[in-house]
Amino acid sequence: MDRRAEAERLRVAVLEARQRVAPLVPDIDPGDLLLILQSLLRPIGTGRRFFLRRRDSGGYVF
Amino acid sequence: MSSDESFLQDVLAALHRVGLEAIVVGTVAGVLNGAPVMTQDLDLLLRDTPKNREKIGKLSAALQIAAPVEVSELSRSITLLGGALPIDILFDALPGGLTFEALRSRSSRVQIGDSAATVAALGDVIASKEAAGRPKDLAQLPILRETQRVRGALKDGR
Repeated sequence: MDRRAEAERLRVAVLEARQRVAPLVPDIDPGDLLLILQSLLRPIGTGRRFFLRRRDSGGYVF
Repeated sequence: MSSDESFLQDVLAALHRVGLEAIVVGTVAGVLNGAPVMTQDLDLLLRDTPKNREKIGKLSAALQIAAPVEVSELSRSITLLGGALPIDILFDALPGGLTFEALRSRSSRVQIGDSAATVAALGDVIASKEAAGRPKDLAQLPILRETQRVRGALKDGR
C-alpha cells in the first residue's frame, strides 16, 4: 500500500475510533484523544519516530 | 521503517543473537503500548546473573558500541554508549517493587520487523514512573494515563 493510501486508512480508522471512544472519555482533550488514537492505531514498523537526539549545538532532532 | 524502528530492531536482533532475555521498559515500552511519547534512550530490564553480565559484553560487541559503563556508584544500572542512542540496562526490578518476573508475567510480545520484543505492560510503565518520581517521569504520566484509559475505552466500546 502506498503512503497516501496508508495515511487515508489511518485517518478513517482514527475517526471511527474517536466516534466510539470520545463519549467514554469526555474529560480527555480532543486534540490529545486524536494524538493517542493515531499512536495506538499506527503499528510499529510503519515509520514511527519516538527517539529524540540531542545535537552538539544544544537543540534536539527526531 | 524509520531509523528509530530500525535501531530497535537491531538491538532486539542482537539480544536474540547473544541469548539475552530482556524486557523493554520505560518510555519505549510506553511507545510500544501506543502512547504518543518520546525519549532519548532505550531502557532494558535484565536479570542480574554472572552469565547475563558476560552476555552484555557480547551485546555491546554485537552492536559495535562501547563497553558498558556504570551509571553511578549508587546504582547497579549500566549504560551502553556510542550507538545511535544510549541503551540503559537495569537489573532485576524497577522502582515500585516491580520485579523482572512480575513484569514479564504481564508483558506482551511486539513484533518489530523480523524481531520481537518483550514489552512491559502500560500499567507497569506508569507504576514505575510514579515510583521513580523524577520530574521527567512525572511529566509523562498524564499522557500515559490517558493512553491507558483510551485503550480501555477502545476495548469497552467494541
